[in-house]
Amino acid sequence: MRSYVALRMVLHDRSSTTGALLGVIAIVFLVGQQLSILFGLLNYMSVLVDHSGADAWITSENVRNSDASGLISGRYADRVMGLDDVEWAEPMLISNGLFRTKDGSYESVRVVGTKRPRLAGGAWEFFAADQDAMLDRESVTVDRLDLEKLGNPRVGDITEIGGQQVRIGAITNGARGFQGTLVFASLDKVSDIARTPPGRYSAILVRFNESADKQAALERLRAILPERSVHSAAGLSKLTRTYYFTTTGIGGSFGFSTVIAVLIGVVIISLTMYTSVLGRVKDFAVMRAIGARKLDIALVVISEAMIIAGIGVFIGFVLLSVLLNATNGSSIPSFLPDEVPALLAIGTILISLMGSLIALRVAVKAEPASVFH
Amino acid sequence: MLLLKNIAKDFSDGREKRRVLFPTSLECRAGELTVLSGPSGSGKTTLLSIIGLVLTPSEGQMFIDDLEVTALSDVEAATIRLKRYGFVFQQAMLVEGLTILDNVMLSFAIQGEKPPADSFEKASALLKTLGLEGTAQMQPRLLSGGMKQRASIARALIKDPPILLCDEPTSALDAESGQVVMETLKRIAIEENRVVIVVSHDARVFPFADRLIQLESGIITSDTRESNQEEKEIVHASH
Repeated sequence: MRSYVALRMVLHDRSSTTGALLGVIAIVFLVGQQLSILFGLLNYMSVLVDHSGADAWITSENVRNSDASGLISGRYADRVMGLDDVEWAEPMLISNGLFRTKDGSYESVRVVGTKRPRLAGGAWEFFAADQDAMLDRESVTVDRLDLEKLGNPRVGDITEIGGQQVRIGAITNGARGFQGTLVFASLDKVSDIARTPPGRYSAILVRFNESADKQAALERLRAILPERSVHSAAGLSKLTRTYYFTTTGIGGSFGFSTVIAVLIGVVIISLTMYTSVLGRVKDFAVMRAIGARKLDIALVVISEAMIIAGIGVFIGFVLLSVLLNATNGSSIPSFLPDEVPALLAIGTILISLMGSLIALRVAVKAEPASVFH
Repeated sequence: MLLLKNIAKDFSDGREKRRVLFPTSLECRAGELTVLSGPSGSGKTTLLSIIGLVLTPSEGQMFIDDLEVTALSDVEAATIRLKRYGFVFQQAMLVEGLTILDNVMLSFAIQGEKPPADSFEKASALLKTLGLEGTAQMQPRLLSGGMKQRASIARALIKDPPILLCDEPTSALDAESGQVVMETLKRIAIEENRVVIVVSHDARVFPFADRLIQLESGIITSDTRESNQEEKEIVHASH
């Protein structure tokens, strides 16, 4: 029944309820939007690892992220294929190149070379044409989101990357990396573009058999390749994200923005709930006089905060969903892992409660004797 | 029965103590309407606040039947107020946002108690008895001052309290509304056998009193029950 009293008060005090609601919505929307961009960028950071289809990556030693590995011999693939646990082992070559656009200008791209016919580590989703187009040595992909930047090339167009003639074989959908535009090509073509020595690659991708104990298989790989770094795909993904998160200032920047968004929300909630309670001090004093304990008054105020938080979280998530749907498939990186909305909702409710503390203090101090004339 | 023994109250402004109520003994019985009257600053509201357990006396003892209620904790006092008291304030003090029915039922809501099954019926019956039929779902702001005051009486009575305390219940009302309210309080005192104490400086209230206590500067200066008792003793002696 105290929550019923709280609900009636919330519905009656429209202006202060609206103000507090705006505070809650601000927290959910702004923090959610920041987090979606952050997680979207994190996805970009490890995109090649996450979509490689491999269980393990063999790289040069002391690698700090998947984009910066020294060249290693392709013979490691042959060595590894001899193990019972291994289904396949394929080389991958990553390098930079200059893409020549139609108007004669150049754009820097990351070229990713994968071995035919498996094309392990290559493009995973296509907008135009398909993976078969990549079986052609001269074919490259460009991404749908980079078409404008690259001068709107079409499938079949001939251009150059790093002075090497290439043909646009396919257009990928959402293949974007943190270091820039991703262009997938054959291993040989990338080797030509990067002018790397034959048989030298950035990494060897390894897939274990379905029935293999993946951790044990990983340990066996490490045992036979002590001179190389052997990472699980998940481990390399995490290493890469951590590297970019901590060295580029992204963590600090997003952390600061998130804190500001929370502070704005807390201030709005505190001020509006404080104002609302000030207007109700006489009511709380009457309730105290007729037999409410301080705890009962506190529960009414807390119930008000929870009702406002619940409604605000709902509206905030509706708005956030609209934003995320609108940006889905656009060039804005946006992604929210499954667990984040629940954590954001809980966090917002706790912050709302925190914002109501000042109001709570005023309410419980309402003196019952003050209602006697 | 309500019994006060040598109840006194001091207030301190930080530098000195000021006595606003001198040792006062009082016994209030069920079935009578007692009016506490006096000029502003006479201590009548202080006395009512002490009786209503919202102020703790500086001296003395207070009993409700055999239960001593002098120095209760905040929680104990609130619980006893909820169970044994009904309050009618000068301004009705209905909570805006709650309907009239919600306001009447507020005593059940405030400590999270589940209302008994017949409480809604009882509340509706109370409103009807007080001439407020049809107002249950209305907001307080839509009622006249007299109607609000009667609704606050319904709120005070919903839990059948043995003690009803009224602080200037007619001062914000016109003569007609005030008359209705006092008739209602008188009926409640006598027909429902409750202790009803009314603080008022309004002389129009006096004719309704079974007992009129006058205070001045924190001291009871006259008590019609004691006067009547003295007269009875004189008559008895003369016979």
